[in-house]
Amino acid sequence: MTTPTQHLTRDGRPDPLRRVLPLLEVRPAKVAAAIGLGVLALGCAIGLAAVAAWLVARAAQMPPVLTLSVAVVAVRAFGIGRGVLRYCERLASHDVALRGMAALRANLYDRLAADDRPVTVRRGELLARIGQDVDDVGDVVVRSIVPAGVAVVTSLGSVILVGVLLPAAGAALALCLVLAGVVTPWLAARAAARTEARGAAARGEVTALSLEILEESAPLRVSGRFGARLADLDAADAHLSAVADDGARTSGLAAALGALAQGLAVLASVALGIPATLSGSLSVEALSVIVLTPLAVFEATAGLPAAAVQLHRSRAAADRLVELLPDADPVPGAPPARVAPASAASVEREADGAAEGEADGEALLVLDDIAAGWSEGAGPPRTVVEGVSLTLRPGSVVALAGPSGVGKTTLLMTAAALIPPRAGQVSGWSAERQEVGIPSDRSADLLPTAQGAPEARLFVAEDGHVFDTSVVENLRVARGDVTAAEARDALDAVGLGDWLAALPDGLDTVVGTDAAAVSGGERRRLLVARALLSPARVLLVDEPAEHLDGRTADALVRALADHARETGRAVLLATHRLTPLAAADEVLLLGHDALAAPDAPATVTARGAHEHLRAHDPEYTWSAAQEQSS
Amino acid sequence: MRPLDPRLLQQVSAARWYVALTVGLGVVAAGLIVAQALLIAALLAPVVLGDDLPRSAATWYLAGLALVVAGRAGVAWAQERYALRAAARTIAELRHAVVESWALRGPRASAPAPVGLTAADGGTTADVRTTADGGLGAPASGTGHGASPEAEVATLATRGLDALEPYLVRYVPQLVLTALVTPALVVVVLGLDWVTAVILVVTLPLVPVFMVLVGRLTAGASERRLATVERLGTQVLDLVAGLPTLRAFGRSFGPGERVRALGDASRKATMGTLRIAFLSSMVLELLTTLSVAIVAVGVGLRLVEGAMELQPAIAVLVLAPEVYLPLRRVGAEFHASVDGVAAASRALALIGPAGAARSEGAAGLGTAGLGTAGLGTAGLGTAGLGTAGGELVLDGISVRAPGRGVVAPAGLSARIPLGSGAAGAGRVVALRGPSGSGKSTAVLVVLGLLAPDAGRVGLLAPGGVLRDLADLSADELEAWWAGLTWVPQRPSLAPGRLRDVVLDGASRVRDPELAEAARLTGLDAVVGALPDGWDTRVGLGGVGLSVGQRQRVALTSALLDDAATRPLVILDEPTAHLDARGEQAVLDTVRAWRDAGRTVLVVAHRASLLGLADQVIDVRSAADPEAS
Repeated sequence: MTTPTQHLTRDGRPDPLRRVLPLLEVRPAKVAAAIGLGVLALGCAIGLAAVAAWLVARAAQMPPVLTLSVAVVAVRAFGIGRGVLRYCERLASHDVALRGMAALRANLYDRLAADDRPVTVRRGELLARIGQDVDDVGDVVVRSIVPAGVAVVTSLGSVILVGVLLPAAGAALALCLVLAGVVTPWLAARAAARTEARGAAARGEVTALSLEILEESAPLRVSGRFGARLADLDAADAHLSAVADDGARTSGLAAALGALAQGLAVLASVALGIPATLSGSLSVEALSVIVLTPLAVFEATAGLPAAAVQLHRSRAAADRLVELLPDADPVPGAPPARVAPASAASVEREADGAAEGEADGEALLVLDDIAAGWSEGAGPPRTVVEGVSLTLRPGSVVALAGPSGVGKTTLLMTAAALIPPRAGQVSGWSAERQEVGIPSDRSADLLPTAQGAPEARLFVAEDGHVFDTSVVENLRVARGDVTAAEARDALDAVGLGDWLAALPDGLDTVVGTDAAAVSGGERRRLLVARALLSPARVLLVDEPAEHLDGRTADALVRALADHARETGRAVLLATHRLTPLAAADEVLLLGHDALAAPDAPATVTARGAHEHLRAHDPEYTWSAAQEQSS
Repeated sequence: MRPLDPRLLQQVSAARWYVALTVGLGVVAAGLIVAQALLIAALLAPVVLGDDLPRSAATWYLAGLALVVAGRAGVAWAQERYALRAAARTIAELRHAVVESWALRGPRASAPAPVGLTAADGGTTADVRTTADGGLGAPASGTGHGASPEAEVATLATRGLDALEPYLVRYVPQLVLTALVTPALVVVVLGLDWVTAVILVVTLPLVPVFMVLVGRLTAGASERRLATVERLGTQVLDLVAGLPTLRAFGRSFGPGERVRALGDASRKATMGTLRIAFLSSMVLELLTTLSVAIVAVGVGLRLVEGAMELQPAIAVLVLAPEVYLPLRRVGAEFHASVDGVAAASRALALIGPAGAARSEGAAGLGTAGLGTAGLGTAGLGTAGLGTAGGELVLDGISVRAPGRGVVAPAGLSARIPLGSGAAGAGRVVALRGPSGSGKSTAVLVVLGLLAPDAGRVGLLAPGGVLRDLADLSADELEAWWAGLTWVPQRPSLAPGRLRDVVLDGASRVRDPELAEAARLTGLDAVVGALPDGWDTRVGLGGVGLSVGQRQRVALTSALLDDAATRPLVILDEPTAHLDARGEQAVLDTVRAWRDAGRTVLVVAHRASLLGLADQVIDVRSAADPEAS
């Protein structure tokens, strides 16, 4: 039903890393500073080797000690400088990277929040993307950009130093540096790319299987599938290992070439330098320098294979992150796309209570000949239900009834403006008030500060999320300033008073991940209590009675209706249980015309008050009787 | 913190094998480094001094040097070639053990102690949580509360263990080289120039001393960092999972700030650790580089005085940095290694207690032969256990509800005759009680997944003896499960094609049977609405299917079981999410099971289902006398 629509064309798309990097909000000056510090640190190491080589060669000729004093001081200074500068460089680059990760996570969240598409990525995938992938993108600073910058600058400097003394040796060093600094990283990255590409599926499977086994261990064990699933995990991990093993062939080659390059540079210096010295064209000090310096220079390129691998890894991670993003919004820090237009008005209403303008006839929400359905990226848009008109006034309670899958939830989401109507018009009190215009200075006073804007309409989803936190914090999702007393009242209203009394820490009791420690019915009522606390004027409630025994369910619907009438809110609820609908002002029965085509949209087959429908609609009567029979 | 946890080597064969290889390569590397230094010195010294270097000798030396270069390339190749493979296998072995041992703890395993850190670290962990959360008062955040153990284990199994790769690939080899190459080189230097050897011997111990000192300073901080990062991960995931809910409340932009704040807190915590961790490596680099400088200057000055020969001087100059190099690399990888060690020790801590429980076999949670016996025991023990035609006996079952101060169910007693798969032997048994009275918990007890705090649950074979579920061996418990079908309260589906998910490997089921079952449960309407019908892919947890649709899938799957081999069906709240017509379908399904001679144990809410019941068991809760 919710086929992912994010499979974009991979060709012709810009580098995903380029698209994601701006979301890190990295400042170039900070990166440059880190590179500068790194160059100085590595320069100390190379300088130490070069000066020490000169010193030994010169000392062997037994000159006056004083002629060596500059070299002695330089060697010691380099010895100290290296450690200090390297420390500064690492702190600088890590700080840049960590800031980038935090910014990227937040930006990603904002994008996901502003995106109206449902999140269809598997839970394990999402965990991997928000966690590891963001880290991988952030690591590009510490592990790729800074080391590469340092390597380029120091390599150039070393080649110039050696080249000035003996051009042939300089050329040889340059060649070896290219081998170690370009060919080796390229090979390593290629190995990593192959591993990544071939291991991605296995890795995703390993993650998904791990989570499935952990979360579904009881059903898996009882149904006898536990051993098989564990074997599946082993197989997926074995596949992952095989892929890693395969990639290790190439990265082994890269490591060998790296070591070879350094050795060849020394060999070349010896082979070229000794004849030059013997022929008198190269001083003995210079010979010592060109032979011993390369031993230190290759520290610059030693980290480059890892840097190239990281670059690739970061790019792949960025690619997965781009998939999560809405198609086109490259601007970092873009303003939230969907702030409730009526927030100010709604709060004003709360504040003013039933003041002027609160005429009973004023419509809070009007659905005018609505057709609702999903428009999906792939395949034609599908209208699930059509021809629905209804009006919600303050205190009115309207119910949508009908079998599962008939389109009740889709209709509610359309009414909540979460998905656009396929036809017809949804108009609300909020829009009207905004047209009338509320002075902005007043609204600023009335807005709850920094708590996000409340919607005028609230959609209470069937599988709303219970957060991994305390009961009261879960209620504060509705409104940031819910007091303990308000929370108690709301829980009482939905029949959770006794439950609350039995909790060891009362309102501060933590309810677990996905509220597994809370029974289905308790969870459901907690969600309704949360809705009651929201400042929204219209509550769109999906299946409030699920997981509840009949009596509790009916009491809950009645509590919702009473609440609406007391506070002047409107409630539109979707339910398949008919018994409590006596509390509703009007019931719309959705269903399919028996004579219509099999995939035709559902329509309103009957509407009216509960008693009226019970008296006149046979299907309704039968369904209601089913609930009563015993 | 131990740099190399012996338990890792004891329990993970891949790690053991890898360390042995690395030691071998380290020995070869040490020899090559010495040879390289001696050859360079032998080539350079005569030229610098203007002495005669015979051409044949020079050729031999150059050839030797070339061999050394080739050898070092070979060692580098072998190390890299096998390190990655060993890391992947080690991680796989640990992941398997973690996932298995945690999954076998059963539902409601509230075990913060084994998951979390050791007791000594508990207090500091709390401190960091306070720091990280301080002043961030946004709602829906888990402020002041850690993530649940389940989420933490999930993070460890999927992501936390990956920290072992850099640890094994980069840190462990350097650790081995430090232990092998450094002492060997010192001995060689002693033979070349005893003064330099003295400098090395004096400065080298300073390095480990500082490592231990700084290691002690940072070990706690690093474990806390792992905890902080994991907590950040689970909290962010919690926020993302709740995104639709937050969006509905118009609150999703507040938590965006919250995510930013969490990230910022994590950055500060991490930078604090890094400042100390890098301080240690700065001291290491300073010590080692300065020592090399001291050696170089000392050698130079003694050369001037004529107190030393040039050839050993050059060799010493080449060797001095190599002596310190492994130590420096250990220092450079130190903070990365800490993550790896912390992840490994958490994984090993998780596995440890389960290993102990395994031998006890208490509560039937034994794992013996799980890997192999998962499928094989289905037919074996059923008769002996008396699932078919036997009786399930509940005697005064009470279970304390964690954190709720109630006992639910309280003192539940019943005798449930089990079907035999023969027509007429069927029976519908309903568990009745208000929400939260412990009906679902009673089901977990009946399944043997949860040991009751009081009372007994047992199986009475036809004409046989009563066997406590708690006394069953792992194989017997599996035989008990193999004789029943369970549709849990919130069915979540394996990812895959809908047809495969419904059939779940039951390939013998033919299309007409499938269609018939789907018609009975109302799944046919769902399938008709899906874009690819039976071939539609559904995600983990049934993404793309509503809760009610998921329930229909689970019911259909349960309908297709073989009635004779699975004479007991347990349905937990089967009418939730179903409308009046759907409920009728469930009633028909339940009747069909009864007609097939199966016992159907249902958690019932509705009058219609209770009306169908041959036996009604009332479930009650009571206040927990021990709760304060």
